[in-house]
Amino acid sequence: MNSLRIARAALRARPATLCATVQRRGYAEAVSDKIKLSLSLPHQSIYRSHDAVQVNIPAESGEMGVLANHVPSIEQLKPGVVEIMEENGSTKRFFLSGGFAVVQPKSALSINAVEGFPLEDFSIDAVRAQIAEAQKVANGNGSEQDIAEAKIELEVLESLQAALK
Amino acid sequence: MTFAWKAAGLTYNRYLAVAARVVRRSLKEDKRLAAERRGQQDLKFAKWSNGKQGDVKNLADANAEAAVESAAAGGAQ
Repeated sequence: MNSLRIARAALRARPATLCATVQRRGYAEAVSDKIKLSLSLPHQSIYRSHDAVQVNIPAESGEMGVLANHVPSIEQLKPGVVEIMEENGSTKRFFLSGGFAVVQPKSALSINAVEGFPLEDFSIDAVRAQIAEAQKVANGNGSEQDIAEAKIELEVLESLQAALK
Repeated sequence: MTFAWKAAGLTYNRYLAVAARVVRRSLKEDKRLAAERRGQQDLKFAKWSNGKQGDVKNLADANAEAAVESAAAGGAQ
């Protein structure tokens, strides 16, 4: 009597599992052409699993565009502009101060940076003034560390100036 | 791939902090004031040994000293 009940339960369970696999396959096909972008700063998350068509990132190994189903990888970012191409054809541009981009399986992309702002938040006059100042320090006779820091600043500022033009 | 800042004894953490600081300073006036508050750091520490507290040092100063030492040792860390 007991074994009969188990057999009946197994019979009933089988059609349910068949249905589930068919549904799952359909869902995966529907989302495969978008990237789920997460853009996080220590104090704010700008995007959380945001759908995008393509994301261009300034990796230390060169500029790269990330589409859906990209090979998983970890890229160190240079200070530079991240371009996010939206589904509706518009493009959003953020300047990041440097960090890491992690391309994860299933079209997920996580970008972490210390500071990131839309390009319109920057003042070109402030950038120019700081370039002059940093050049003075970089060519002066301060300590090795001061000169190295001024050169980091110059790298960021020159990238920022090019992005604002 | 060796970076110039690494040869000068700076850590990647310091590199990021310098890059973030200069990005904050490049913002328009209203945003800059709000953002620059995030860059402030004032942390002190002391090393304890044999049940006694050593000198209280500022973390930023101690890190700068460590960078100089690291550069003198060949920049490798």
